[in-house]
Amino acid sequence: MTTSDCFVSVIAPLDNDADIVPDFIKEVTQVLKNQFANYELILVDDGSRDDTVEKVSLALKEYECMRLICLSRHFGTEAAISAGLDSAIGDYVVLMQPDSDPPEIIPEMVQLSRTGTGVVIGVRKGRGKEPFWAKLGAKLFYWYVRKVLHLNIPANSALMRVLSREAVNAITQVRDRYHYIRMISVFVGYSTQEYLYEPISRSGKHKHRSLGESINQAIDMVVINSTHPLRAVSVLGLLASLLNLLYMLYVIIINLVKDRVAEGWTTTSLQNAGIYFFILLILTVLSEYVGRILNEAKSRPIYYVLDEKNSSVMLSDSDRRNVVDDPLDSQTKTADL
Amino acid sequence: MSSLSELKDSYDAVIIGGGFFGCRLGIYLRQSLKDVLIIEMDDDLLQRASYANQARVHNGYHYPRSFLTALRCRANFPRFVAEYPECIVDDFEKYYAVGKIFSKVSAAQFRLFMERIGAEIGPAPKHIRKLFNPLLIEEVFKVREFAFDAVILKDRIRKDLHKSGVCLQLGTQVEKIAPNPDSSIQVTCSRTRDPVRKRQLRAAKVYNCTYSHINQIISRSDLPMIPLKHEVTEMALIAMPDELRNLGITVMCGPYFSFMPFPPKGLHTLSHVRYTPHHYWLDEPGKPYLDAYKHLAAIQQRSSYLSMLKDVQRYIPAISQARYVDSIWEIKTVLPRSELDDSRPILLKKDYGIANFTCIMGGKIDNIYDAFAELEHLETKTK
Repeated sequence: MTTSDCFVSVIAPLDNDADIVPDFIKEVTQVLKNQFANYELILVDDGSRDDTVEKVSLALKEYECMRLICLSRHFGTEAAISAGLDSAIGDYVVLMQPDSDPPEIIPEMVQLSRTGTGVVIGVRKGRGKEPFWAKLGAKLFYWYVRKVLHLNIPANSALMRVLSREAVNAITQVRDRYHYIRMISVFVGYSTQEYLYEPISRSGKHKHRSLGESINQAIDMVVINSTHPLRAVSVLGLLASLLNLLYMLYVIIINLVKDRVAEGWTTTSLQNAGIYFFILLILTVLSEYVGRILNEAKSRPIYYVLDEKNSSVMLSDSDRRNVVDDPLDSQTKTADL
Repeated sequence: MSSLSELKDSYDAVIIGGGFFGCRLGIYLRQSLKDVLIIEMDDDLLQRASYANQARVHNGYHYPRSFLTALRCRANFPRFVAEYPECIVDDFEKYYAVGKIFSKVSAAQFRLFMERIGAEIGPAPKHIRKLFNPLLIEEVFKVREFAFDAVILKDRIRKDLHKSGVCLQLGTQVEKIAPNPDSSIQVTCSRTRDPVRKRQLRAAKVYNCTYSHINQIISRSDLPMIPLKHEVTEMALIAMPDELRNLGITVMCGPYFSFMPFPPKGLHTLSHVRYTPHHYWLDEPGKPYLDAYKHLAAIQQRSSYLSMLKDVQRYIPAISQARYVDSIWEIKTVLPRSELDDSRPILLKKDYGIANFTCIMGGKIDNIYDAFAELEHLETKTK
């Protein structure tokens, strides 16, 4: 592939990534410079507490076409990506995790996006050394999303993806607080394509989500993207009240038909337990939605930006010396000779 | 153009730099002094920063975060417009939009601020609002702001200089200045193209109005450099589509852009907060001096016009029909402290290292009146 004439933006969220960010910048810039006539690398610092910002600021003096957006505190990966998408100007926008996504695959993925479809989603080969429950949970989640929410999110899809300008414009219109790019880039509905790749590990350690975090995220993603659970419990509630109706009928009939009615401890407690089960379930789901409605109603910005810095590359030292030379100084020197 | 031999041996005032500031100062000084000489390195007047800027006559709208700067603009705007009516270009509509995401001010704050400083501000008509992407722009205001034609201004200044009897020495550079025992200043100069032959003059007062070169004379005269920040900047010259042709639009207040008619070329200049500055360096005492103009001429800078247009397209889709023509590259010099609050104060250093040697630098063309006020203030203080 030769140098493409399209404008490519690469967005990478940073979160305490001081160890890996210099190598990441170097590799990505190398790939972009060789493959694309116009590019930008947007790094979004998500409130790192180590010296990530200092490391990137140094790199801004060395590499061209780079930008650093510093969020005012830690807002989470998804908010960081939103900040990047809101200011990306490219025809194609690449999202990637600096730790695990290899820069070499950028050109091929962009090419796929150009020739074929608007959105190219990176899919990891296998989930690696993740524990059993994580693999099972992920399987279950993807099945649910596909079957019930009708969103075709590829299993094991990574953050790494290429979005066309149309897709970016559509995504940036969605200003939900629960802004899961994995879902939204599928939700906006541009045809998607998968790209299988082997993830790398720059830092050597895996940033695993805990079980609690995974479950939280799964609930958020489902609840914010669909009213399906709400509908499901509505049906359940309806069913429960129907059963109750039948039970009441049964009680009346028994009352009418039989003379002596034994006090039915079993049926009463069964009925009670059943109804409470349904009521609590319904309340749980309702509270989930009420919580989301509250957060959405606040309509606060998804993130706040503390600072933005851009590349400011001076000439290399050898070039600079030629410029600094004051002709008057050199003339006086030659005159002395 | 006169040769060095035609110069007198002694002047009441020598002004280094024939930009707008130097020339206007010359006319000002000629009111009270007999022999005033302006020495300009280029072969013509108003060639650098006085020409290569966005040709905006500021009326305060640009500085919603610096009350003082905005107020000074409000005071200087009518003076400049009254003094140079033939240079003012007002046949276009000017709008200020406030960004939604990344903006440092909200539309309500912007309006309130402008009302408080007394700048005219009103709602933009519907057909103008429709040009903007509502997802990225909070509000659009119609304002009163003009451009100036730097070429007409140059002709006018040349006439004024002639009329008031200020001497002009073009194509000549000042190499250094040194104090004389009688508290006058010895000025050593040479032709820009022939630096070997030198000429020395005596001047009662010397004014350094060389903007980006301000530290050149200072460092050559073995004085400590004034801390300044120099930026290599690029403005794109754009041929606008019909619907944008008679408009000047500025988006405030963050990583946004501004375009405005550029009268000398019949095109628009487009500048972008993010892409107009390419790189910068600082002049600091003790550091080697880097000649800004030689640096600019020596570097091969890649144009950022595409990035500018791509970003503007997100806010104003109609600009996708615009045609890029050329870029204007220039050095922009600012005081390092103005980075914090975005203000553009003037620099005025009297008796800088040498008695009667004054350095003056302003960020905007109409700052000149502030410079005069400050000069008068310092003059009365010494008396």
